[in-house]
Amino acid sequence: MTTTTSPVYYARRFNEYMSELWRRRDFIWFLARGNIKARNASTFLGLVWWVLNPLLLGLVYFFVFGLIFPTQRDIAYLLSGMFVFHYSSQSLTGGASSILQNSKLLVNIRFPRLILPIAFLLESTFGFLASLIVFYLIVIPFSDVLPGPEIALLLVALPLQILFNVGLAAATARLAVPFRDINNLIPYLNRIWLYMSPIIWPLSLVEGLSEPLHSLLRLNPMFPIIAVYRTALLGYPLEQADVVAMVAWCLAIGIIGIAMFIKYEGKMVRYL
Amino acid sequence: MSLPAIKVDSVSVRFRPYVDRRPTLRRSLATFRHKETQLVEALKGVSFEVAKGEAFGIVGQNGAGKSTLLRCIARTLRPDEGRIVVRGRMSTLLQLGVGFNAELSGSRNIYLGGLVAGLTKKQVDEKYDDIVEYSELGDAIYRPMKTYSSGMFSRLAFAVAMHLDPEVLLLDEVLAVGDEGFREKSMATMHELLGRSGSIVFVSHAVRQLAEFCDRAAWLDRGELVAVGDAEDVVEQYRAEVRKRRQEMRAQGIG
Repeated sequence: MTTTTSPVYYARRFNEYMSELWRRRDFIWFLARGNIKARNASTFLGLVWWVLNPLLLGLVYFFVFGLIFPTQRDIAYLLSGMFVFHYSSQSLTGGASSILQNSKLLVNIRFPRLILPIAFLLESTFGFLASLIVFYLIVIPFSDVLPGPEIALLLVALPLQILFNVGLAAATARLAVPFRDINNLIPYLNRIWLYMSPIIWPLSLVEGLSEPLHSLLRLNPMFPIIAVYRTALLGYPLEQADVVAMVAWCLAIGIIGIAMFIKYEGKMVRYL
Repeated sequence: MSLPAIKVDSVSVRFRPYVDRRPTLRRSLATFRHKETQLVEALKGVSFEVAKGEAFGIVGQNGAGKSTLLRCIARTLRPDEGRIVVRGRMSTLLQLGVGFNAELSGSRNIYLGGLVAGLTKKQVDEKYDDIVEYSELGDAIYRPMKTYSSGMFSRLAFAVAMHLDPEVLLLDEVLAVGDEGFREKSMATMHELLGRSGSIVFVSHAVRQLAEFCDRAAWLDRGELVAVGDAEDVVEQYRAEVRKRRQEMRAQGIG
């Protein structure tokens, strides 16, 4: 086996890179599971936090937006949007930190760097699945919502959102590793994104807006993504336009983010 | 003669410390306006070869570019110029225990270490028992690694690195690990690797040990290759130069 460095760095082709990722799937799995295990081992409550975290998050938002400033009294509407949003917004910070926290690994060993954001995403996917269970635990006693056959839609929605989130994590890692300033901006971007998404205010609010503003707000990918999840979780009627928009957004962000990351990863070590 | 295991051909690496290393927005805007940036040449046209079955040492003072060179060979850093050819399966555990998670047990870390280096889970399964036995950790293997002494830690890390069956082994500041007994064992394992015509590249400040173990050595000084050749000779030249520089510093009243 002969290996040569430069002028060509890592993968010559996209599918070569992908097959290398696939070959390394055990590593991704162990990395994610290792992080989860390490986190459980170092806290007193361990696994209980998987349920407690979304529960507390849900209660805080219900307290604020359901009780103090009651912009959203429909707890099922609020929490479904909140958990779906939280899963994606985590990826914005998680992508860059998965690289920065493993700088020693990157400097010493050569592997497809996309493994790190993917492992992060796998980890947060477990958290998201736990939050869906918590969602029903909170919502069923307080409203008339019950999981229906629409829940099968998750089998499509979840893989699409995973692709979307990998793209987000990869793109922010690409930008925030050389430009650390971006890490400082992300919390604010996340907040703006939250307020612009149909979570703490009802959909009827946008419907009443005049045209340029209405379309502009609807450009937010969270609109169709949350809409499709609300069909799956709450049985809301499914709009064809939302499905089309979600598929388009997830494919676009996923592919662009991954391509940005791979193109850049040969230089990454220089910025650690 | 067979082809060399490693061929380093006029490799140069340049860092732009203020732009290249951490270009915050402000800095890159600043350099966008004033184009001139200070370049640090970490390696300047370095060339040498490492033969199969050879132990090769790299010496030099801090900042000479030794680790940069190893990273280029390990292909985690792309040189700006030149090329490097490596023939054979490479174990790139430059520092022992990279990829380990101290919160987890030694047992899980065997898997992490193996997987990070490119093995599949099945391959680690097959080597697992040998690694545990080699590390001499016994039941401690099930304890979290944060409870390990540094000797235990490096024993396990070394055991994992050697069971990757490398044909080319790169080691940064790792010459002998563990206590006296384990040190002998690790040395024997490395000699065995050389006997199978594997190659080892060391970077170390323990130059006397390095001269003893290595066949040949290279001396790097501020990114330039000063000498390559018989390890004892190169190390002797290097030590003489270090002594001379220290005397000069003392003469100027600094040292």
